[in-house]
Amino acid sequence: MSLFAEVWDAVKAVAAGLETVHRRVKQPPATEFYPYKKPEIPPVSVQFLALIQNEDGTDRCVACLQCERVCPSQVITIERKRNPEGKGFVLERFDLDFANCMHCANCVEACPVSAIVTVGEFEHAVYDINFLKADKAFLDHIGHEAKIWYSPKFGVEMRTPEGKIVKAPPEMQPGGLAELLKEAEGGEGA
Amino acid sequence: MRNPTTIEPVPGRTDEMIINMGPQHPATHGVLKVVIGLDGERITRAVPHIGFLHRNHEKIEEARTYTQIISYTDRMDYVSGLQNELPFILAVEDLLGVEVPPRAKLIRTIFFELFRIASHLVWLGTGMLDLGAITPFLYTFRDREKILEITEKTAGARMLPNYFTFGGVRRDVHPDFFKDVAAFLDFFETRLPDYYALVLDSPVFQARAVGVGVLSKERAIARGASGPVIRASGVPYDVRKAEPYDAYPELEFEIPTREEGDVYARFWVRFREMEESVKIIRQALEKVPKTGPYKGKVPPRVKPKPGARYRAVEIARGHLGAYVVSDGSEYPARIKHRSPSFANLQLIPDLFVGARFADAIAILSSLDPVFGEVDR
Amino acid sequence: MSRMPLPTERLVQPRLVGYDPTRPKPWLERIAYALFFSALWVMVVLAYGVVPTVFRHYGWLKSPLGFAAYAVIEAVLAFLLAAVVALILIVVLRKYLGKVQERVGPMHYGPAGVFQTVFDALKLLGKEDFAPRRVDWLIFRLAPAIVFVSAFLLMVAIPVAPGWLIADLDVGLLYIVAVSTLGAYGVVLGGLSQGNKWGLLGAFRAGAQLVSYEVPLAIALLSVGVYAGSLRFVDIVEHQYGLWHVVPLFLSFIVYLVASIAELKATPFDLPEAESEIVAGYNTEYSGMSFAFFFLAEFVELFLLPGFMVLLFFGGWHGPLFGLDPTSFAAGLLQSFYFLVKVAVWVWIFLWIRATLPRFRDDQLMDLAWKGLLPLSLVGLLVAALFRMFLEVL
Repeated sequence: MSLFAEVWDAVKAVAAGLETVHRRVKQPPATEFYPYKKPEIPPVSVQFLALIQNEDGTDRCVACLQCERVCPSQVITIERKRNPEGKGFVLERFDLDFANCMHCANCVEACPVSAIVTVGEFEHAVYDINFLKADKAFLDHIGHEAKIWYSPKFGVEMRTPEGKIVKAPPEMQPGGLAELLKEAEGGEGA
Repeated sequence: MRNPTTIEPVPGRTDEMIINMGPQHPATHGVLKVVIGLDGERITRAVPHIGFLHRNHEKIEEARTYTQIISYTDRMDYVSGLQNELPFILAVEDLLGVEVPPRAKLIRTIFFELFRIASHLVWLGTGMLDLGAITPFLYTFRDREKILEITEKTAGARMLPNYFTFGGVRRDVHPDFFKDVAAFLDFFETRLPDYYALVLDSPVFQARAVGVGVLSKERAIARGASGPVIRASGVPYDVRKAEPYDAYPELEFEIPTREEGDVYARFWVRFREMEESVKIIRQALEKVPKTGPYKGKVPPRVKPKPGARYRAVEIARGHLGAYVVSDGSEYPARIKHRSPSFANLQLIPDLFVGARFADAIAILSSLDPVFGEVDR
Repeated sequence: MSRMPLPTERLVQPRLVGYDPTRPKPWLERIAYALFFSALWVMVVLAYGVVPTVFRHYGWLKSPLGFAAYAVIEAVLAFLLAAVVALILIVVLRKYLGKVQERVGPMHYGPAGVFQTVFDALKLLGKEDFAPRRVDWLIFRLAPAIVFVSAFLLMVAIPVAPGWLIADLDVGLLYIVAVSTLGAYGVVLGGLSQGNKWGLLGAFRAGAQLVSYEVPLAIALLSVGVYAGSLRFVDIVEHQYGLWHVVPLFLSFIVYLVASIAELKATPFDLPEAESEIVAGYNTEYSGMSFAFFFLAEFVELFLLPGFMVLLFFGGWHGPLFGLDPTSFAAGLLQSFYFLVKVAVWVWIFLWIRATLPRFRDDQLMDLAWKGLLPLSLVGLLVAALFRMFLEVL
């Protein structure tokens, strides 16, 4: 009799498996239609690096060499000269070799002025590895095109359609929860 | 000189076929090569070859500063990337004497357990692919995708986020984080019964797994196995209980253990571990303050005092340790990673010999090696 | 030169032609499947209904020339039918697996990707048919042909409606047992001839599996023959007018179901080509059209084995006729439709099982065949004989 019980259990288990599989027929597919529908990348995500310029077109970068120093893969090359008009330095060259970059965002962490940032732009596959060497003009261009970016110093920033750089609302900021909770409390209090 | 790692044909023995499984074999989880002597379908000899993914991890790390190293530790076990950062960070924190705020500890623990679920899901999918079922693979990867999305929103990358740092985490969590995690747990609990139905309860799977690749307690201890492999053999060893770190002392959870030591037991232990992870994350979500400090006070130049420190954590595959020797400078004098897959992989000759060829595949997937971590 | 191209300068811009997979149109897909089904139906009606009826009606089969013409026409039609069946079943398999696995499946060629197989076939035609240097050339080339021919010859024996059949074989059951065994030769020879160790292992497994499962399969067929009192398919189907054979011969039906999945080398029993174990098994070294013939044969069998199951256990073409004369052409159309619908349901169940279960191990496979199915099939034979006895007594 135990043999029949065993067989019956096996049949029931197989039926449960079949039912599990069949339940999925009605579900919408999980497929992402990537080249036709672009995913939304959170600004914190380290997809690509860019140099941000101020609203008046000057570099935010003060050529302090912090990013060059912290880079584990040593892909950042900076040349600088003394600022002829005042103190500090100005950039002469800022090269970033994306072929060796490991996207750790240590440079973004280290930047004291939020000049190098992470952006959500990610479609940079090229046919020749030599094309992966980015120069300052390129990084400036990416930074100029970017709508939203992140750096630890200033948090998530946005560029308005008019070209103004503003801080993003707390719903998008890492740690924006504190502000949101305070707002909610204030709302309840009022 | 004879290479001790190759199998020579035995003179006069014609019923043994020597066959190279890997490194391009579909079921070797990457780049393992096993030279196998086959008598029909039964394995007579097995010699694993590793090192196809060797990247000189430890030497590279000795030439980097402490901050830079964190992003390299991610790359060891790329399936549970975030978990690999922790042993090194704990060791350096001990050397530095940094105090980690409790909120940071809880956030680290949540991520740690999320990545355990993610890693076990990858293992489950690929393991069932090895056993011939395609469908669970796609289900598990869909679920894992949700974890990766949560991680990307906060940590900045999907698989190798470089998110933990000395004294806590790099940045505060995304405002949606706690909500997302709770939603994922609810979703995942509805999916777990499906995995039970498709895998553990399936009679075909049980036929393939029960009594296959039995690893005795003594053998497991002798070979230095850890993680689900040793717990499936009846040794309740878990670093989370043995040497608690982060927020684990204040959380309640069980160590699922099973006595059989076969493939089914290893699958069962990992299933139960996923359930335990859900429990742990739920507790941590209740305990974690919504706001507060996420990072302790760490000097900008990380220069630990001279000394040595070994810290270990329980990643999805087992006991992952980091031994850091500091000479007081910005660069570590020596770093040694003790990786669980490497030790577990030594069981291959023990478990393979005498098994059937199809069993070997099941055994390999139940050991769940990741070769980034084996070869380092 | 060595500057990174900006996003606007990329060489390949994604562009969509025709069907937009991001906005799925389920109705279009359903229409495509309906068209597929009607194409299959038209082919079946042509091959099994129109041509044989015409030839028999005018008595052309009696002259040698007429018989030769009949053979040639039927061969061409049957080949086209096989091609249509394979093209449809492959895309149906892929779309179905996609559905149950929460993904889309093929989606680019044709509405909802339903013409994917056509393009795959074109691709396989265009590929180099490569043979490694050390293969046994003649056998290596012959093996796919043997496999395909054995599946192809099986098509001759199927009746789809009363009087609609290519060849009315008195020993139809014996014929399908004999011819389907031929396919095992092709698989084994193909694996052995390629000088590849994985191929060798695949051939071993295929040989053991196919030969073992022939036995319960043949006994299950025999029990149907015993119960119906004839080995002719037409008689067997006629015999089911009172009660479908699945009820009295349930044990034989179970045996046939399991053994036919094993014969198909489908998932719980796909050891000969288990890609996670022995890379690709017996067709490791095959490429291009040689590989396509293995594939074609597999999917033709995926149509034929459920077909035989419907004939033997599910009343073949039985269905409501709405007062039509069963021998008329209109009734033939309707009955072949019923037959195809029943086959489609069983093909779906086969695919469903394929999507769910993991794979058995080789020794468990043998255990199941010799310790499980063989006794069960013998019991089934006994049951069939007993029922037959009662039938005769009553």
